[in-house]
This record gives sequence, structure tokens and C-alpha cells, in this order.
Amino acid sequence: MADSHAPAPTSHRAGHAEPAATGHATVRTYWIVAAVLALITAIELAALYVPGLPNVVLVVGLLLLSAAKFVLVVGVFMHLKYDSPIFRTMFVGPLLIAIGIILALMALFSAFILLPRQVL
Amino acid sequence: MSGPAAGGHGAVAVAPHDPNIGTTGLDNRKLGMWIFLGSDCMFFGALIGTYLAYKGKSLSGPGPHDVFNIPLTSLSAAVLLASSLFMVLALHDIQRNDIKHGARWLLATALFGLWFVGNQVYEFAEFVIYYDLKLWTSLFGSSFFVLTGFHGAHVTGGVIWLLLLWRLAKRGLLDARDATKVEIAGLYWHFVDIVWIAIFTVIYLIP
Repeated sequence: MADSHAPAPTSHRAGHAEPAATGHATVRTYWIVAAVLALITAIELAALYVPGLPNVVLVVGLLLLSAAKFVLVVGVFMHLKYDSPIFRTMFVGPLLIAIGIILALMALFSAFILLPRQVL
Repeated sequence: MSGPAAGGHGAVAVAPHDPNIGTTGLDNRKLGMWIFLGSDCMFFGALIGTYLAYKGKSLSGPGPHDVFNIPLTSLSAAVLLASSLFMVLALHDIQRNDIKHGARWLLATALFGLWFVGNQVYEFAEFVIYYDLKLWTSLFGSSFFVLTGFHGAHVTGGVIWLLLLWRLAKRGLLDARDATKVEIAGLYWHFVDIVWIAIFTVIYLIP
């Protein structure tokens, strides 16, 4: 299984091509991020049981909290924050297209999360 | 990388070339995985978009908030997030050639993945048996089962991948030189986690 041709004991064998790879997060950072993720999940769950919370506030809040979780996992756990910008481009580009697909399908079917449907 | 290095008396020494490093200077396997994850983003984007487009348009059968067990799904979300932490700790240990601890974290990641899949199987069974909600019952049934079913299949594939890596590590066939292989498996695993972050919020939490 081991690559007999691979001289370096780490995954970053590309030398100068991955300049940001030296700034990887520490184990302490991973645990802190995990704690923050757990806290955000608990807040999301608790928000559902807050009486009288306006729907707009709830929906926008949940979307922002989940976006924060998404960014933390991708940036720190997947090392995209520290890795080559090429990887970032390869992922963020299609992600934006995916968001566009979701919005286009919702517009096509008049299915908006926030805005009430127009009654004809 | 593999560029020539000048020797003391005009000799030129050439460093061994790693065939996994492409013309971009990046590891081709890692680049390939990121491209795959980008395409998978669009795949799940289409499924999530379809679910939202059909939301509230079912003519029969139970609706989402008749059947969802939010505390159970929140537990599943927490389990998958914890498994992401274990995965990154496994990679950290394997990069440091601490294979013993790396293998333990790999196994913990796989077991938490199995826990998640078990919760999903329980949830699906509950929907079918107690609520008579099946793939063909309604627009909600078809869009929900297809979306979460494909995600569950991704998690199952990831569990098999992690167990194979764990087995290799236990047999002494995995060391620090294979860290990129573990890192690529980790990228895939974290991806199924972020897809669940989106599904959990958009499908389960938003009223």
C-alpha cells in the first residue's frame, strides 16, 4: 500500500506548489472547531422551540448558522483555508452553480422559503 | 519538487519524480477528488432544489412535519460532525506516522458513520411502517427518500472506504507515505458531512 516512490512522509509532496500547506491547523484548533460546531447545532435545535420567533428571523438565522458550520468544516477540517487556491476554485465554482440550481428550481416552481406564495 | 538541483562541480542532480504530481504542481489524486466533490455539489444541489420545488405540493400522504423526528435527526447530525473530527485526527496521526492511534480514529470515524446510517434506516422504517410514507406515496415521499437515500448511500460508501483503510493500517500496510490516500478519503468523508449540514437545515429544520 505504501508508495515506495514517495520520499516525504506527509501528503504535501508538491514543494513550492502548495505554499499555504505549512499553515495547517493544530489538534487544539480541531477540537475547538468541533465544540463550536456542536454549539451551533444545539442553537439550531433550540431555535425551533423559541415561542413567537418570526418565521423570517428563524429561517435566515438557520441558514446563516448552517453556512457557518459549512465554512468551518470546509475551511479547517478539509484544509481548504490552508491549501492551494486551485482546490478552492475547483470546489467553490461548482458550489456556486449548485446554489444557482437550487434558486433556479425554486423560482421555476414558485417555491420560496421566505416569501409567501401569491394566491391567484 | 522534481526540478534539477545544481551540484558542487557542475553536476546536476535530479530529484526523484513523484508520478502523482501533475503539471499544476499539485497531487493529481487530491485535485481529482476536489473536482469530483465539486460535481457532487451540483448533484446534491439538484436534489435539494427538487425537494424545495415540490415542498408543500403533495396531494396525499403525511407531510414533513407529521413524520420528522427532529431530536433523532439532530443526534444524527451531531454524530456525523463528531465523525468529521475523528477523521481529521486520524489524518493528523497518520501524517505523523502514529499508525496505531490513526487506525483507532479511522475505526471511530467508521463506527460513527455506521451509527448515522443505522439512525437513517430506523427513520426510513418508521416512515414506511407507521406513517405509510413510501417512495411512490407523494411528491414529498419521492423527493425526500431520493435525496436522503443518496446521501445515505454516500455515507455507506465512505464507511466501507474507511474500514478498508483501517484494515490496511491494522495489517501494517499503511504508513505516513500513504497520508494522501487517507487525506482523500477524509475529503470525501467531510463532504458527506457538509451535505448533511445543508440537508439538516433546509429539509428538517426550516418550517
